[in-house]
Amino acid sequence: MSMISLPEHVPVLIAGGGPVGLTAAALLARFNIPSIVIEADTDYCEGSRAICMSRRSQEILSWIGADKALVDKGLSWVGGRSYWRNIEVLHFEMPHEPTQRYAPMVNIQQYYLEQFIHQALEQSQPNSVYWGHKVLDVQQTATAAQVLIQLPEGNTQTVTADWVIACDGGRSTVREVLGLALKGMQYDGRYVIVDIKQKTQRPVERLAWFDPPSNPNSTLLMHRQPDEVWRIDYQIRPDEDPLEAVKPENVLPRIQSHLAMIGETEPWEVLWISLYNAKCLSLENYRHGRVFFAGDAAHLVPIFGVRGLNSGLDDVSSLVWKLASVCQGTAADSVLDSYSIGRVAATQENIAYGAKSTEFMAPPNRAFELMREAALRLAVVDKSVASLINPRQSTPIVYSTSPLNIVAQDQWFSTLAQAGAPAPEALLTDERGQPRYLTEYFGKEWVLIVFSQPALTTTLRQTLLNLPWQVVIVGAEGLHDTYQQVQERYGFAEGEQGLILVRPDGYILGRWSGLALDTCVNAWQNKGF
Amino acid sequence: MKAAELDQVYTELCYTLNAVGEDKTPLFLAMLSLSLMSRLEDSAEAIALIRQAWQQIDATG
Repeated sequence: MSMISLPEHVPVLIAGGGPVGLTAAALLARFNIPSIVIEADTDYCEGSRAICMSRRSQEILSWIGADKALVDKGLSWVGGRSYWRNIEVLHFEMPHEPTQRYAPMVNIQQYYLEQFIHQALEQSQPNSVYWGHKVLDVQQTATAAQVLIQLPEGNTQTVTADWVIACDGGRSTVREVLGLALKGMQYDGRYVIVDIKQKTQRPVERLAWFDPPSNPNSTLLMHRQPDEVWRIDYQIRPDEDPLEAVKPENVLPRIQSHLAMIGETEPWEVLWISLYNAKCLSLENYRHGRVFFAGDAAHLVPIFGVRGLNSGLDDVSSLVWKLASVCQGTAADSVLDSYSIGRVAATQENIAYGAKSTEFMAPPNRAFELMREAALRLAVVDKSVASLINPRQSTPIVYSTSPLNIVAQDQWFSTLAQAGAPAPEALLTDERGQPRYLTEYFGKEWVLIVFSQPALTTTLRQTLLNLPWQVVIVGAEGLHDTYQQVQERYGFAEGEQGLILVRPDGYILGRWSGLALDTCVNAWQNKGF
Repeated sequence: MKAAELDQVYTELCYTLNAVGEDKTPLFLAMLSLSLMSRLEDSAEAIALIRQAWQQIDATG
């Protein structure tokens, strides 16, 4: 990690070199927007921290070329099991099918993820991460932000940045110096989070125990990670002193008791112990002039459902293309406000799901405890209530309130492909007979999907060539809809023609029945592009 | 009822029970059970559910 001197001016300064900040830098580099990353620590994070990466996150990481390293090293999984005492009461699977590009979830230690993203960034924009540097202050004018930075030697320097992205985590300095505070609530229930190293033959699944004989009255979660590591989370009693609870002499017996109960007898050692309580906190606005907030600096959501880091990557995937367009002069400033509108709504949804998961995993009062016991006891014989135990894993958010959405004028058969929804994946076949995923085309340019069974006229083909978008033709020419996935998921009737305009972050801007390109282009321009 | 709706009413019930308080919780649940039973198609369904709940308390201690 070579050290170079700070520039006097940079188009985008990113505070925080965790996975969200590094991804923001790598995404900006794809649009040829130079940035620097200011990171207080001198290396990747300690402890495995966030471990479950969603399918949507894998897609975002594919845009910067970090997906392959993640999938190769990580452990992919599709479902899990929940037990009440030692009786299985739920076996769930997230949506998945044999033709999919990525598994619904892949487990990886956060320090590996940071390494993969940083390596991808080094390819596109070398030496742009300033390790051991601290942001001390941010002052804004109408045209720029002055960022005061403390160098590793202790002296300070000011960098002028056109824009700042604050990805500096739950204790964000940028948030503090701007006088902003997260608002919301937190739950009292505390969890001890432990990573241990132990060989196992178990399949990769999310495992949960409620009131297990190994740890009566507690709730315990297990996830496998690469390098023969188990993530184990368990709830401590309300009367326990949290500082005592994380001492190895109090952690080890509980873990040993549980490993013995489930028949994991290989020798093991503790790698990392941490403490957690669920929080539902957010800024009210993620844009403050020339400063944007993303990841934990903008919001803290409960870990149950793995919406923390995954939503942080979604933040920057939503922000960067808008910021790049404004930097390049191809979008109006108002487009930047849609970042905050869309992502604040996303946080509210993540918090709603996360709160529900937390209320099940760590009941906040006697009423929730009673109802959970009722649900678990009943689920043994009555599967109609088992869905209550489902952990509500992270799924892509629909930006139903985004001001960018172009509301469909026509009748469509698919609600999957509405404006503001993530464009559904589809496995297609290219002209050489090779399999191609539709999401491979997303992540940089605007993509116009032209769905047409009849061959396109020469005039139309000529018009398509002149559009400022990447055009993906699906049908008689171009890509073949071998499995009818585009037709079904995008809601086209047999023989119907249509247009779908997909934002650079893979979300649907609008959709039109028929091939009226003028209508489509006009509607797009009216949104500030 | 869809899973999402069950989830919603489950949470609503939790919040209501908390407001009702522990002392009155059995009475509240008894009243609610009566209302729900009276809306079932026939008595056989209600009796099956009563027995199921009883067995699960009995079997699981």
